[in-house]
Amino acid sequence: MTSPPPNVAVQVRDLRKSYTVHEKDPGFVGSVRSFFNRKSHEVEAVKGVSFDLAPGEVVGFLGPNGAGKTTTLKMLSGLLHPTGGTARVAGFEPRKRETPFLKQITLVMGQKQQLIWDLPALDSFLVNQAIYEIPEAQYQATMREFTDVLGLEGILKKQVRKLSLGERMKCELAAALLHRPRVLFLDEPTIGLDVNMQESVRAFVRDYNQRFDATVILTSHYMADVTALARRILVIDAGRLVFDGDLASLAEQSSGGKTVRLQLRQPISLAELSRYGNDAKVDGLSAELSVPRSEVSARAARLLADLDVADLTVEDPPIEAVMAELFGSSAPIKQREHEHVAG
Amino acid sequence: MTPFFRKFRVLFSTQFALMTEYRAEIVIWMLSGTLSLVMMLVWMGQAAAAPGGQIRGFSAGDFASYFLATWFVGQLLVVWVAWELDFEVRQGTLSPKLLRPMDPMWGHYSGHVAEKIVRFPIMLVLVSLFAWLAGARFSLDWRVYLAVLGLVMLGFTVRFLWEYSLGLLAFWTESSTSFQEVVWLVYAALGGLFAPLAFYPQWVQDIAVWTPFPYMLGLPAGLIAGKATLEQAGQGALVLIGWLAVFVVVRLWVWRVGLKKYGAVGA
Repeated sequence: MTSPPPNVAVQVRDLRKSYTVHEKDPGFVGSVRSFFNRKSHEVEAVKGVSFDLAPGEVVGFLGPNGAGKTTTLKMLSGLLHPTGGTARVAGFEPRKRETPFLKQITLVMGQKQQLIWDLPALDSFLVNQAIYEIPEAQYQATMREFTDVLGLEGILKKQVRKLSLGERMKCELAAALLHRPRVLFLDEPTIGLDVNMQESVRAFVRDYNQRFDATVILTSHYMADVTALARRILVIDAGRLVFDGDLASLAEQSSGGKTVRLQLRQPISLAELSRYGNDAKVDGLSAELSVPRSEVSARAARLLADLDVADLTVEDPPIEAVMAELFGSSAPIKQREHEHVAG
Repeated sequence: MTPFFRKFRVLFSTQFALMTEYRAEIVIWMLSGTLSLVMMLVWMGQAAAAPGGQIRGFSAGDFASYFLATWFVGQLLVVWVAWELDFEVRQGTLSPKLLRPMDPMWGHYSGHVAEKIVRFPIMLVLVSLFAWLAGARFSLDWRVYLAVLGLVMLGFTVRFLWEYSLGLLAFWTESSTSFQEVVWLVYAALGGLFAPLAFYPQWVQDIAVWTPFPYMLGLPAGLIAGKATLEQAGQGALVLIGWLAVFVVVRLWVWRVGLKKYGAVGA
């Protein structure tokens, strides 16, 4: 594989990963059968994924459970060896796990931790300072910034096992970013956190991306994470990339229409509103309905002409609804050209 | 200080802090490793009943000295890294460690060394108490203890590396700890935990001298009990250095090949 152009932080070509999975029927008979005749089959978790990411780009990596998101991130961070295809991250082949590569990346897994459970988080930070060879002045400056932005004051000297989930996640993020990596793989970084804590984590990631021009790949089941941080979306389903584009384009893939929200000066009946579109809802002087994309302008004009409208807004359907619709179909939707980043 | 030693020093300090958190568990764990003490009582009883009060030149007091010394040395050779690796590979907790630019082995090694330092003062108290109760006598030659220290450091590192290699078999198998238990039995038998090596049939002794086991456990214990010489310690150290080189290569090979098999389980 030739080296990617300098303005490509992550280059992935036809990346594949297969696993051998052993099978056993439940119960005693199943165990005896499996002892003498162990069955196994090959599972293709990732089936030829290709994309490029530019330095500083933030990308949402979406897909249903078992789609291949985490497997792809693990290959890009060097944890898994690909079965086929190639990947280059920050100019390195991840599978070689070279020291300069490891110093430029991080992988935050919401369900895994690197902090030492029975010691204060500060001990884990000191270990990372030593292992990543972070100069003392840089370490102190980064710690001051992180303590300020993440609100770590007062929790750094508590045993990790005595921290709340939210406090622990903030410390995990700080530990993972202490060496100021240029490429961040964030796998469900807000899982299990309350709404306020999710917002803190998003703000921190947004701030880090802007300050250090870091490339970020983010997987999350919380669409708010994706819509708040990423302009570009990659959708993977059954191991294949089925969409690569911006959020607005993703919404356009939906066969559903746009949502028109109305603030009325006079009340209207549901039956009357239903003449203008589908899924009409009325709540006092507020109303909404869905209209076909191709007819948005005409229907909006009719609504304004026929009704006493104080305000009218047109919105894309919620991203959750689009994703639910996408994952119901396995047909490729749209594949973005790789060249757009390099070019 | 080189960058490596700076990293190792921080790892060691952190692991030492961690081990002091577990000090009560360490004492209980030490008390569970009493096989040497049981064997001491068995052989002391046999010697007392034997004609002349001796078996192959070992009196009851000699057996007390030898088995208390094997207990002491055995405590310094305790290695649990295979269990840790088995868990880390199968549960996927190895992943965060693999993301760091330092071989995870050093974290485990520093943890083991730190644990020995926490364990050592308690060992001294217990061995003194047991020696007083059993009437054991130990060498008073300071050179013996230097030789013991050298043999124990080499022996511990050799054992750590073979146990590490066994733990890494978790990359291929459902549970690597079963291998570890088989190897422990050979280590205990040929190391002299059940009886001094000289008590075994000649053909067993002929095999044992090619293994590292007698030099890491039975030889230092024999030195402390006054049943081995400093010349033998020198020869034993050379054998252990040879095995150290072997296991350095084996560990590295298993690590490199195993990483390709790593499934990075879980999320």
